[in-house]
Amino acid sequence: MKLSAILIQTVRNLRQTWGSQIMTLATVTLSVLIFSFFFLIFLNLKHAGIRLGDNIRLLVYLDHQPTAAAQAKIRSEIRSFGKVDKIVFKSSRDAFAQLKRQLGPDRDVLDDFDPEFLPPFIEVYPLRSLSSLSHINNFANFLATLPGAQKVQYGRGWIERLGYFTQLIRLILFLSGGLLVLTATFMVSSTIRLTVVSRRPELEIMRLIGASRSYIQAPLLLEGLLQGVLGSGLGIACLYLLFNWLQHHFNGPGLFKLLQLTFLPPAMTGAILSVSILLCTTGSIVSIRKSLRL
Amino acid sequence: MDTETSQPAIIEFIKVNKIYPPDVVALRDVSFSIKAGEMIFLTGISGAGKSTLLKLICAMEHPTKGLIDVQGRELSSITPAEMQLLRQKIGMAYQDFKLLPGLTVYQNIAMPMEVTYTPNRTIKDRINYLLDLLNLTDKKHIRAGKLSRGEQQRAALARAAANYPPILLADEPTGNLDQDNARLVMKLFDQLNRAGSTIIIATHDPLILRDYSAAQTLEIRQGELIKNDTLDN
Repeated sequence: MKLSAILIQTVRNLRQTWGSQIMTLATVTLSVLIFSFFFLIFLNLKHAGIRLGDNIRLLVYLDHQPTAAAQAKIRSEIRSFGKVDKIVFKSSRDAFAQLKRQLGPDRDVLDDFDPEFLPPFIEVYPLRSLSSLSHINNFANFLATLPGAQKVQYGRGWIERLGYFTQLIRLILFLSGGLLVLTATFMVSSTIRLTVVSRRPELEIMRLIGASRSYIQAPLLLEGLLQGVLGSGLGIACLYLLFNWLQHHFNGPGLFKLLQLTFLPPAMTGAILSVSILLCTTGSIVSIRKSLRL
Repeated sequence: MDTETSQPAIIEFIKVNKIYPPDVVALRDVSFSIKAGEMIFLTGISGAGKSTLLKLICAMEHPTKGLIDVQGRELSSITPAEMQLLRQKIGMAYQDFKLLPGLTVYQNIAMPMEVTYTPNRTIKDRINYLLDLLNLTDKKHIRAGKLSRGEQQRAALARAAANYPPILLADEPTGNLDQDNARLVMKLFDQLNRAGSTIIIATHDPLILRDYSAAQTLEIRQGELIKNDTLDN
């Protein structure tokens, strides 16, 4: 089939139903923008989680300094529970020295204290990503059961809040993904159906003068494809503009500094574009099959 | 016009019946045969069944009973792809024109050539020729909905003739035309017929029947073929 003939028919279709075409384009664009926006947040949170995870350590305060044999046993128990980057045992004296270093010029306030007044402790550096941050509580609970453990300390509040927020974003991501699927397929499908209805007399004449199925269907298919290409392209372009605006306006200390915003990687952008185009084309095919009984 | 008896039939009806629901008999036991290159007049009063017969030939309607053979193909057993190719070979000028009012005369006439992927240059030349022949050149870029009935009729005939169809079916082609324009239309039919097209004209225009000769005149009355005059006979 001639490409020029398909293009002429497609342009004719678009001109006849331009109002609904613009509505559909706007809906597809908005759906892609919403989905990709939450995907961008999710991705950046995940990166932030990984960065946060790199700095996380759990401190297990002990009631007494374990012997070398006990230390080996504790190491083995911890490693058997989860992947750990590093385990460091600190004696009471080590803790005292560390506190002195931290106090800097005010270290003399400790002069009258016993160098062993602080409890010995273990520093545990777990290997983790954001997805396992929600399980950090379990790890902390386990560490509390170690022999001689008195207290386990870590940034529980932060980790919990980040975990809940990530779960929420994941939920929104699923919902917006569903919205994208629904709008792309149903809106495009409805628009194509409208095109078919508005052009029914013309399609009937075409059928009577011997137009092939592909001659009649290809322009409608191209219409859906164009909606997908333009809608997803505009959606991603809007996201990029929004991203630049956010970077420009929130490029200071605080949460955004911690997040160190990065845009969607090219592969992910390509995947969102491809899936959107596929969904719109699918909507178009569904509508053609339903509306055109040739 | 001379017909050769050895020439195969391009259209053949065998005991064709067409009944519209619930029980309106449009055609009853109609049998006839048309050879390639013949010009046929199909006569009868309004409602006799002429339009139904033409619609059966181009498979716009399907017979209730009987067999219809067009270009060696029995229509009830034809595949959709074959039907599409067959329809490309049949030019049909409908009584109600079936022009698309939103498209220009040029766009309407171009349609059958576009679906067969005729080059643009050829389409342009052919349309210019037909518009000139049918005295419609000044209406070329006017929307079909803005034309008078006579102009619409001629535009519909130009569309039917555009693709040099081997079979041309014309339903009351001069019904809305004055004598001069009717002559132009008959000139077009004559040209196509000389080039080898089989032409079937459904008409009850006495001037046409008087002034022009056909290989056969089929007369239909109340759905029955009551007269089959062949020029040879």
